[in-house]
Amino acid sequence: MKVRALQLATVIVVLGLWELTARMGWVDPLFVPAPSAIAPALVRISGGAVAGLADTLGKAAVAYVLSVVLGVSAGIAVGSVRLLRDVLSPYVIALYGIPKILVLPWIVLLLGYGTTPAIFYGMLHGFFPIMVLVMGAVRDVDRTLVTVARSLGATTWQLYWKVLLPAIVPSVLAGMRLGVVFCLLGVLVVEMFAGVRGMGYVLGSYANGFQAPELFAATALVSVASITIVLALDHLNEKLSRWRG
Amino acid sequence: MTVVGLRLALLALLLAIWEIAGRLVNPLLGVPPSAVVPALRDLLLLRSYPDLPANILLTLREIAAAYALAVAAGLACGFVLGMHRLAGRAWGPMLAALYAVPAVVWYPSLMLFFGLDAASKVAFGFLLGFFPIALAVLAGIRQVSPQLVVVARAYGAGTVTVFRRVMLPAMLFTLVGGLRTGLALCVIGVVVGEILGSKAGMGALINHAYGLLRTADYVALVLVTLVMVVGSDVLASLLERRARQWTE
Repeated sequence: MKVRALQLATVIVVLGLWELTARMGWVDPLFVPAPSAIAPALVRISGGAVAGLADTLGKAAVAYVLSVVLGVSAGIAVGSVRLLRDVLSPYVIALYGIPKILVLPWIVLLLGYGTTPAIFYGMLHGFFPIMVLVMGAVRDVDRTLVTVARSLGATTWQLYWKVLLPAIVPSVLAGMRLGVVFCLLGVLVVEMFAGVRGMGYVLGSYANGFQAPELFAATALVSVASITIVLALDHLNEKLSRWRG
Repeated sequence: MTVVGLRLALLALLLAIWEIAGRLVNPLLGVPPSAVVPALRDLLLLRSYPDLPANILLTLREIAAAYALAVAAGLACGFVLGMHRLAGRAWGPMLAALYAVPAVVWYPSLMLFFGLDAASKVAFGFLLGFFPIALAVLAGIRQVSPQLVVVARAYGAGTVTVFRRVMLPAMLFTLVGGLRTGLALCVIGVVVGEILGSKAGMGALINHAYGLLRTADYVALVLVTLVMVVGSDVLASLLERRARQWTE
């Protein structure tokens, strides 16, 4: 109760101070508009921005599904074969670690502007964290479980389906939680760099046009959308883990 | 031994595939390794980009400034939230929620406010580096067993001693991990900022080479930038090891 009150108070105080700063002319309203100027802008841009947001979320969703499917399968494949894991893991870790922005110009050269590079780059962002997590989880599966299953005559198929898969579910969920933000990030970066549609493009063009109230309103819109998605996933995760016991 | 051999064989195979594929496609798009080597030589001998050292220096300075700010603010914010129970419970989740926003959405606003020069890159690098540091401090403080603090206090340890001898060693592991992640994200923030819009720095050079379809120069510039990125992480990992030795 006290916590909620303090959170609410914080938001109000921050908005109030911001409004005051803008009203007193301590910052140039051309660059930092007051909250009271952003609210009408939110209404003004709602048509275009919602369409842009839908476009971005659609691309991010495709990228996300691809990165989960590919990341989990690659993680299981590489993680469960000892030789493959030993040979590939330094490469995977290196690819996970390097800033992917460096290859973005090249991706755009190859795939052009628009939807395809956005999906590809978003997938690239989501794929590696998921794969690294799943790979580690597969490696750390209790050896005893595997040995017991084997000695009780489990086939390879049963070993994967009945032992490995249930054991790595928490890591897969953790990877899925991480992947969402990464995919969205990747799609937004491409839209800013070489977009023709979508929220990243919308944000970039408001910034280039010095339309600060619209820019802040659009930023708030994307932020709220991504926070909502992440909180919803967290909630789902919690429910699932309670169901698992 | 065989593993190392296989790793090298894989690398050689990938380079060979890249070489063949790079020669087959349009030379404006595909750059085989054999074309990267002369481009890299020209770059390092300052033939293709004579102002390379100045740009490297600028990027490094942006990273240093962003990281210094992120460490200072992250530590301060983390400790305030960690030491104060109510503040931590109220603002911790808000911080975590903001961390869930793909940070790049803030960048256009930062660019509008700070302009195209170094300040907007510093601000963006700071923003990316701040969150993992603050959240690591917060998580680290939560790891410290309250019993240890109580016992130390019962034996007459003052606040400074408790902090130095009990809390810091207990949370160091998490704290140093956060500092390392923070550095990596500061570097990424600065590079992303430069590529999305700048007049100088490695990102500006990369954009220049890309825009003119000087793809071989672009690959060479990316390799130089990668050396900077990897170098910063190696430095951080050495410091991390030192810190861990100190706790043991």
